[in-house]
Amino acid sequence: MFRLIVEKELRETIGTTKFAVTFAVCALLILLAFYVGGRNYQVGQAEYEAARAENLKQMEGLTEWSRIDHRVFLPPQPLAALVSGVSNDIGRTTEMRRQGELRSENSRFNEDPIFAVFRFLDLEFLFGIVLSLFAILFAYDAINGEKERGTLRLSFSNSVPRDKYILGKLVGAFLALAIPLLIPILIGCLILPLMGVPMESGTWLRLAMVILAGYLYLGVFLTLSIFVSALTENSASSFLMLLVIWIVAVLIVPRAAVLISGRAVEVPSIDKINFDKSKFQRQAWEEDQKKLMTWQEENQPAEGEDTQEWFGRFRKEMDALGEDRNDRIAEFSARLNEERRNREAVQQKVALGIARISPTSVFTLATTNLAGTSLSLKQRYQEEAARYQTQYAAFLTEKTGDSPSGIIIRIGEEEEEEPDPIDPYELPAFTYEGPSTDETTSRALPDLGLLALFNLLFFAGSFIAFLKYDVR
Amino acid sequence: MAMETTGIVTPESRPAMLEADKLTKRYEDGHLALDHVSFTVRAGEVFAMLGGNGAGKTTTINLFLNFIEPTEGEACVDGIATHRDPLAAKKKLAYVSENVMLYPNFTAMQNLDFFARLGGKSNYSKDDYRRVLLRVGLQEEAHNRRLKGFSKGMRQKCGIAIAILKDAPAILLDEPTSGLDPKAAYEFIGLLESLRAEGKAILMSTHDIFRAKEVADIVGIMNRGQLVMQRSKQDLEGEDLEKLYVEYMAGYMDEPAEV
Repeated sequence: MFRLIVEKELRETIGTTKFAVTFAVCALLILLAFYVGGRNYQVGQAEYEAARAENLKQMEGLTEWSRIDHRVFLPPQPLAALVSGVSNDIGRTTEMRRQGELRSENSRFNEDPIFAVFRFLDLEFLFGIVLSLFAILFAYDAINGEKERGTLRLSFSNSVPRDKYILGKLVGAFLALAIPLLIPILIGCLILPLMGVPMESGTWLRLAMVILAGYLYLGVFLTLSIFVSALTENSASSFLMLLVIWIVAVLIVPRAAVLISGRAVEVPSIDKINFDKSKFQRQAWEEDQKKLMTWQEENQPAEGEDTQEWFGRFRKEMDALGEDRNDRIAEFSARLNEERRNREAVQQKVALGIARISPTSVFTLATTNLAGTSLSLKQRYQEEAARYQTQYAAFLTEKTGDSPSGIIIRIGEEEEEEPDPIDPYELPAFTYEGPSTDETTSRALPDLGLLALFNLLFFAGSFIAFLKYDVR
Repeated sequence: MAMETTGIVTPESRPAMLEADKLTKRYEDGHLALDHVSFTVRAGEVFAMLGGNGAGKTTTINLFLNFIEPTEGEACVDGIATHRDPLAAKKKLAYVSENVMLYPNFTAMQNLDFFARLGGKSNYSKDDYRRVLLRVGLQEEAHNRRLKGFSKGMRQKCGIAIAILKDAPAILLDEPTSGLDPKAAYEFIGLLESLRAEGKAILMSTHDIFRAKEVADIVGIMNRGQLVMQRSKQDLEGEDLEKLYVEYMAGYMDEPAEV
């Protein structure tokens, strides 16, 4: 009985013009998404390699390590080809300094704002927007449509258990949508390595989980559609109701969540933080200037004192003040940054908590976590850049012997030999280590579980509604 | 209004396949759709229910199909109360609705195959389907055409073919000739007679007084949820059923008529 209903659903769906058109559109879009993703990866990788090479090249010929202008770059993430997440919004280039705060700039969207307007056609967008709509289109009249057509009455004039019928309908509708979609997805998966996207075993596993998340997400809209169609009298009402739910879930809730959390938890802007930091820095500098002047007044060179010796003392005092000032500035900056980060974390927690009401947000969070393009990408890149900064500072200190403040005072004009040019390839290499497969999957699992729960809830709803459904 | 029951003599040897015993249905809004209706349809009998819109004909059929539950009394199929064991009861029932609607994207053969298997018959071959479709009068060139291009008469034939394939001992027909052209209606009556000859118990609701008189072994008239009259074919011989019907529907005959 169950198998018969599944077969009927498959045959009934697949045999329609609606299905043929939808499948053709979906197949085209999916293949396009894989191709565009692969192409974006190629472009991103080429830009990354070129930027790295350019960075080293511009150092060639320099003779002092203290004069180098070093940058590190975020490489493109393989699965960002399919789930771009925030990868195009965050700065990919970080100007390296021996100390102080690092700032990332040159995001993809910053460089090419046109992409920010329309965004990319990626797999996450396809599932999130297009396929969820198609799921509604296929299942909005699953129950009430059969009633309208009169086939429900005829079916239930037979000895048909309702539980098997509703389960068969759900599985049949799901397979009718899922199996044909799998074909372009599998072809797309073959395109990726052919286009040079590095696909290691962990990456394949994560991609498989992205697809699983997509199917769970489709399942949510299918079960929801069946649920609504078992609650409403006619298919026009269920379609309208589902359209409203879709708009709320896909378009309103994620944006509203951000707005609400923005109101609920205020986070000082970067400009405000920078202003406070500059103010503190200026004050600290002015204080030190006064201290230096006082020191100078109190420590005039003694009669017969060697000028070089006095300058030595002066420099020592200046360095000490400089070091102390830098420490205070760093401490102040760190405190402001930490406060901002903490508030930002609370804001994100509130936003994501509210957004998780919507399956679309849950799907986005699951897939971006799996692809390594979630909100944590920025934080991780900043952390790795900060770790590299320590390595870089140690390298420069070793090479130059300068103090961290970087202030070099030259006294007198000494005849020096022309120094040898530096070798930029001696610089320690910055490699961005993306999150491991274990890390990404464990982060995505709660959201995958939530998607499964949505499926279960809506199916239970359809089941209960159908048990009471008037089939006449 | 008391029911008139005259002249109904049915051989005891034939089992009662469809039985309504004080069948009553009152909806939640208080509307009394069916009021203590009792009748029996035995194997090899056709029971025609006549009545206007809202008389309770379709409610009676819905109760036999367990689409709704009785407020009082019971509807039994081969002794099984439908509200107690609907799945067992429905195994013994075939049903043809007033306006047969099948899956429009399936061919006639595919529709037959699905509904036959749904009715528990999975051993039919394509030839069996073809034979039944020919028996109900559907031309061979239509067998593999999708239903969406079918006329009402053609769909009705498919519906009857599905009922035949189920091979159930009892058949419920809800205004089966409504909307059929005279030729199709005539062919349908022939089919009904052959099903009766096979021993099927047939309960048919209809507006068609002429056909009812022609084919039914028992004719019942329903009005405002009550079965106000049931008479055997022999009883109705020489009677003007149309006149009787109009009189009953107008409520002229509160007492049993003289036969």
